[in-house]
Amino acid sequence: MSVKPLVLTIVLLCLAIPGRAQKPESQPGYVPIEELGLFPRDKLEVEINLDGPVLHMVSAMTRKDDPGFSAVMDGLKSIQVQVFPVKGTDTAALKTRIDRAVHWLEGHGWKSTVRVREQGQETYIYLKQTGDQIEGLTLLSLDPKDEAVVINIVGRIDPAELGRLGQSLHVPQLKNVPEGKKKPE
Amino acid sequence: MARPHDALACEEALDLLEPYLDGDLPAGEMDRVRRHLEACPACAAELALAARIQRELRALPQPDCPPEVIERVRRAGRGEVVPFPVRERVPRRRIAAAAALVALAIGGGSLFVHIQHVQQQQEQVAQATREARLAMAYFGKVTRKAGLDVRDEVLEKRLVAPVARSVSRSLGNTDGAEPRKEL
Repeated sequence: MSVKPLVLTIVLLCLAIPGRAQKPESQPGYVPIEELGLFPRDKLEVEINLDGPVLHMVSAMTRKDDPGFSAVMDGLKSIQVQVFPVKGTDTAALKTRIDRAVHWLEGHGWKSTVRVREQGQETYIYLKQTGDQIEGLTLLSLDPKDEAVVINIVGRIDPAELGRLGQSLHVPQLKNVPEGKKKPE
Repeated sequence: MARPHDALACEEALDLLEPYLDGDLPAGEMDRVRRHLEACPACAAELALAARIQRELRALPQPDCPPEVIERVRRAGRGEVVPFPVRERVPRRRIAAAAALVALAIGGGSLFVHIQHVQQQQEQVAQATREARLAMAYFGKVTRKAGLDVRDEVLEKRLVAPVARSVSRSLGNTDGAEPRKEL
């Protein structure tokens, strides 16, 4: 048996420890995106739902080849992404739903950190903090000419690392994600 | 020494060992085998070996058939219940062979299942890695489109500054720049 499966097996065993298997819903930085009903699920272009144990495995598997990415993943407990293609849809209704989500965040202790409106595009970044620790980041964006995006990242977040990582990765190269792009029904 | 007319020869006794072990013989036969075993250390040793193999076979883990497999078999439409064949008397030599086969099947089967499981897990992790990268790429794309450089401007002025300010507020210092770029 090669080393990789062995490492993976050990990681899987470690993840069996109950503390590691904490549900993302119980984390303060978690946003129930599905419950907010921002976008119709059957029309999503991209839907990503990764929880803590999976992210730990991702971190373990990429530690050698991509230590920066691995370090960011190691601190995370959940990543949710929904991308909805806006073209041909009622953007006013979409805007209303995004506003509703913004109100939900503000009503649940999230702090607005960035609000940008440029050329019709609106972007919001909200942070959930406990003391000086960022425990959640939620990004909402509506570009009427392109797409609406919601991203919720939970865990030990280092914005600098997250920013660097985001800038180094590009959607077109990564978008051709094979099977499993969308969460199974 | 002449043996009584109902006494068993070793070969007959050995063929009856398994049903004897299982208590499947009629009372008279059980008694004949027992008497033979009492008088024949070689056959008694065979009995002890057969008993040990049987014990060890029973102690092997029983692999569960995954519900999806059962469901697929049901869906195959046959729907017939195939009873287990009635057990025949197996000559003792087959016991060891069967034991070896079962052990090989279980050992080989679990190894195969384990390898498959590990491969499946690796594929899932690779897929999750692609998804995590795509998620980060979307984060980068949106912030880029909004003209935000999270590494510098947002990081310094909007993300890190509020955190630092919240710490300084807790220390009684309310000074700090407004981090928001309001709509």
